[in-house]
Order: sequence, then structure tokens, then C-alpha cells
Amino acid sequence: MFNEKIVNPAELRHWEGKIELYWIYTSGVAGDKFFKALKDEEKFIAAKCKKCGKVYFPPRMYCEFDFSETEYVEVSGEGSVRAFTVARLDKDEKLMEKPEIYAIIDMDGTDGCMVHLLGEVEPEDVYIGMRVKPVLKEKGEREGKITDILYFKPS
Amino acid sequence: MEVERISGLKFHKKQDVAIVGAGMTTFKRRLNETGKELSYLAIKQALEEADMDLSDIEMVVMGSAPDTFDGLHMKGEYLLDGSGGSDRPYMRVFVGGGTGVFAPIAGYWHVASGLADVCLVVCEEKMSSSHPHPQSAFKYIWDPILDRPLNPNLIWIFALEMNRYMHVHNIKHEDIALVSVKNKANALDHPCAQLAEKITVEDVLNSEPMALPVRRLDVSPPSDGAAALIMVAPHIARQVTDNPVWVTGVGWALDTTMWTNRDLYFPRYVAEAAKMAYRMAHITDPRKEIDVAEPYDPFDYKELHHMEGLGLAKKGEAPILTREGVTARDGDLPCSPSGGLLGVGNPIAATMGVKAGELYWQLAYRAGKRQVAKEVTTGVCQAWGDLMQVGTVMVMSNKR
Ligand SMILES: [Zn+2]
Repeated sequence: MFNEKIVNPAELRHWEGKIELYWIYTSGVAGDKFFKALKDEEKFIAAKCKKCGKVYFPPRMYCEFDFSETEYVEVSGEGSVRAFTVARLDKDEKLMEKPEIYAIIDMDGTDGCMVHLLGEVEPEDVYIGMRVKPVLKEKGEREGKITDILYFKPS
Repeated sequence: MEVERISGLKFHKKQDVAIVGAGMTTFKRRLNETGKELSYLAIKQALEEADMDLSDIEMVVMGSAPDTFDGLHMKGEYLLDGSGGSDRPYMRVFVGGGTGVFAPIAGYWHVASGLADVCLVVCEEKMSSSHPHPQSAFKYIWDPILDRPLNPNLIWIFALEMNRYMHVHNIKHEDIALVSVKNKANALDHPCAQLAEKITVEDVLNSEPMALPVRRLDVSPPSDGAAALIMVAPHIARQVTDNPVWVTGVGWALDTTMWTNRDLYFPRYVAEAAKMAYRMAHITDPRKEIDVAEPYDPFDYKELHHMEGLGLAKKGEAPILTREGVTARDGDLPCSPSGGLLGVGNPIAATMGVKAGELYWQLAYRAGKRQVAKEVTTGVCQAWGDLMQVGTVMVMSNKR
């Protein structure tokens, strides 16, 4: 019977499955440059297209629109808020202990933005266009990951 | 293999399709470049060969095998910006190992239909991301109830296929090992090769047993890499080159995932795909009319298996042709002059570079040190994959 309602699927013969895999992602040529500079020198690297001048942040080894090569340029890491949200429920719809502010940050001197957390600011005080600067982990704790930036705070 | 002659409107197309450029990265076990960066590097080379730039590209086809290797859902979308796909019609295709020839087939649809005059085809694979081993990802292609609880892996099932093939035709491992010896030696002339080496039949027979009869040197390695092709309409081909290579036939076929329910000694899905491509290319006697071939060779016995599926040899005859030197680079029917997957490497979809890419280079007389000795007009390339169930075939010719 197709319309028979299955109330307890465990009563049927069944198997459980799980995909047992993990991955090691490489950050690539441009990614390496970016994360090493962030970790070791607290510097922010972007990449400028040698043909059209577009500045990519984080850096890329190629310009996506004309496939020209890029050259690395240093930027301040500061920027301004382009959009933000205050997250109150997590992915499982549980109430978060403390709301998190996620923002798209327009990076100074580049044609790109990045998404990151805002900190040292109350949700009601955030506004679009707000100037922010990055807060990094202590040098010894940095691992060359995007989370080496703890959050951006008002500047 | 007998192929019927076709006339009339069957396989009608809007315009002919030419290949005018190809590129590929080096194939290696672990490359520092991301999949996007690899795609970019391969495309850059293809664009240079075709004397084009990205603004000339109208549509893009990406070929990449299952997401589990890269650990990225929607891998096609992820790879887009390194694939020249931004703001263009872009699609990803995959049929496992068959993707290396299926992606150019999809490129062919784009141009033959008249939807695009210039289509870029790029294939990328980064198998090194997957841990503990890419075989752990293959595990999930099996039926979760009938096969997977037995913990199969691809080497085991290919060992079953090889065993069946050897038994039905009474083939010795020595004769199969000759394919590995030939292809790894051919790869010495390929600048992108991962496992090029001079080896002997004894080396193969004495190499580490993996799942008998399969030994270490019977198998191609997992690799990272990318490859690209540029496919264009006739009026574009005329503008950019004096030596276009025409795609004269394409074919593909899939058999059931119930792989135990068919006799593994012969890949009938490859034969069906080949018949479709030959009918389109008006080839009735492939053994006579094909000058050079790139059959899929992830294992040494697979090249033989696929030669038979492609009608380049009678059933059971491929090992004899190999022993007689017919398939050598200076033979009458050179097979895998690139060095193939066994010698150059096996980054699943990106093997397009040693199959469709190599066939284009051979027919355009651009293969350099790898150029076969005989005069060539027409060739065939083929890929194979999924759960031993898909054949993808492309016939090319330097005469229109
Ligand atoms: Zn640019």
C-alpha cells in the first residue's frame, strides 16, 4: 500500500550509513601568500590585475574577468560595513547565548569585500558605512587561517 | 565491429565543430594550486595556443568528478571563477571517469547546436584533498545495501573484471603488463607526466600485489591536475588556425549500476558509445579507418578491454596486437601515444588532457616528441567510468 503511513522507520529493515571522509584543503598559490603575511607579519595582501587594475581581496593569482596575471599589493585591512545581520538562532534553530554580528566589509583600497564578525560593539550601534578595523589573535596563536582575524571592531 | 552506414537527417547539426587549442597542467599527487588555479593555468595555455583571449569565449563547460574528492558541494560553481565562467552560460557535467571525454562531448553540443560559436571546455580534479585516501570516496558509489557492507574498493572490482577478461580469452598477465610498459615509456616524452619511467614486464609482474591479479604497476596513480580545450564553429576556426581538428562523431552510453548482472569480460556500453560516434563520423570499419587512438587506460588491461569495445581489435585480440607492436607509437595503430593515465597520471576528469587533448595534438601535428610515426587523418579517444558502466567516445579528423 503506497499510502501506508510509516510511523517508526526503525521497524523496517534498514541500514545506517555515514560518509567517513575528511579533507585537507590547500590554500593555493595566492592563498599561501595571503595567510603567511597575515600570520607572520600582520599584513593584508590583495592582488591587482595587471590589465584592468581590479584589486582582488583576498588575493588571486588571476583576474577572473580577463584572465590576466595579478600582482600582490599590501592594503591596510581596514574597511567599512556594507551590510550586516545580528544572528540570534544557530543552524539548529537554538537560541544563541550571545548574538553574533556578521558583516560584509568593504576593504579599503580593493574592489572586494569579505565576510567576518563584528566585535566590541553592540548590535544596536552598528550601521552601514561604519568604519572598522581587524583584531587579530596574538602572534603565537595564529595558524594561518581566516579565524586568525578574531573580528572587526569600530575604528 | 560492423557499423551501419547512416544517411539523411540523423545526427543533424547546425554547424561543424573544430578544436583549435588545448592546454593542461602538470599531473602530480599533490599540487599546491587550488582547483581554480589549476583550471586557470590549463585554460591560459589553451587560449594561447588558439590565439584567443577570455573575451572570445561565449560559453563554458566544466567537467569534474564527484564533489567528495574536493570536499566541496556544488564544486562546479566553486570552480567557476578560475574556469572563465563568470557572467557566462556555464555548466558542469560529470560521469565519473567518463567525464574526460564527456565534457568535450558537452562542448560539442554547445557549438554543433549553434548556441555558441566558441565554447571553452575545462576539466579539473584535485584528488589529494580527500582523506584518508581517495578510495574512501569511491566507497560511496556502491549500492548501500547490497555492496557497501562488504567494504569493496575499486581495485578489488577491477581485479574481478581483469580476472574475467583474462579467463575468457586465456590472456597471460605478461601480455597485459606490456601496456603498462609501453604507456609509462611513452610518458617520458610528456612534460606533464607523473609516472613516466622505463620499466619491464618483470617489474610489473613483481610489483606489490594489490588485489590479484592487479599489482601496483598495473594501475595509474591518483593525481591533481586540469586540462582545457577550445571548441569553435567553422568560421571562427578559419580565423585562428590553418590546422583545425574536426569533431566528426560523438557517442556515449551507460549500462546498469547492477554491475554484477553483466559479463565483465566485454564493455558493451563502450561498444554502444563507439557505434554511435562511428555512425556519426561515417566510419564503418574502425580498425582500418582509425589511424591513432587514445583508449582509456586507468589499468593496463583496460586499454586492451577498451580497444575491443572500440572495435579496434576483435574480442581477445588486443593483447596480440600489443605484443606485435601494432599499438606502439611507431606502430600501425598507435594507442595512448600520450603515455595515458598509466604514465601521465589519473586526475579523473582532467585526463581529458591525455585523451581528447592528445588526440587533438596528434591530428594537428602538434604533439612534438610524442607525434606518432605514421601519417594521421582520423582518430578516436574514449573514457570510461562510474561503476564500470559508462563509455564516452569522440572521433576527430584533420579533414572536414
Ligand atoms: Zn583584469
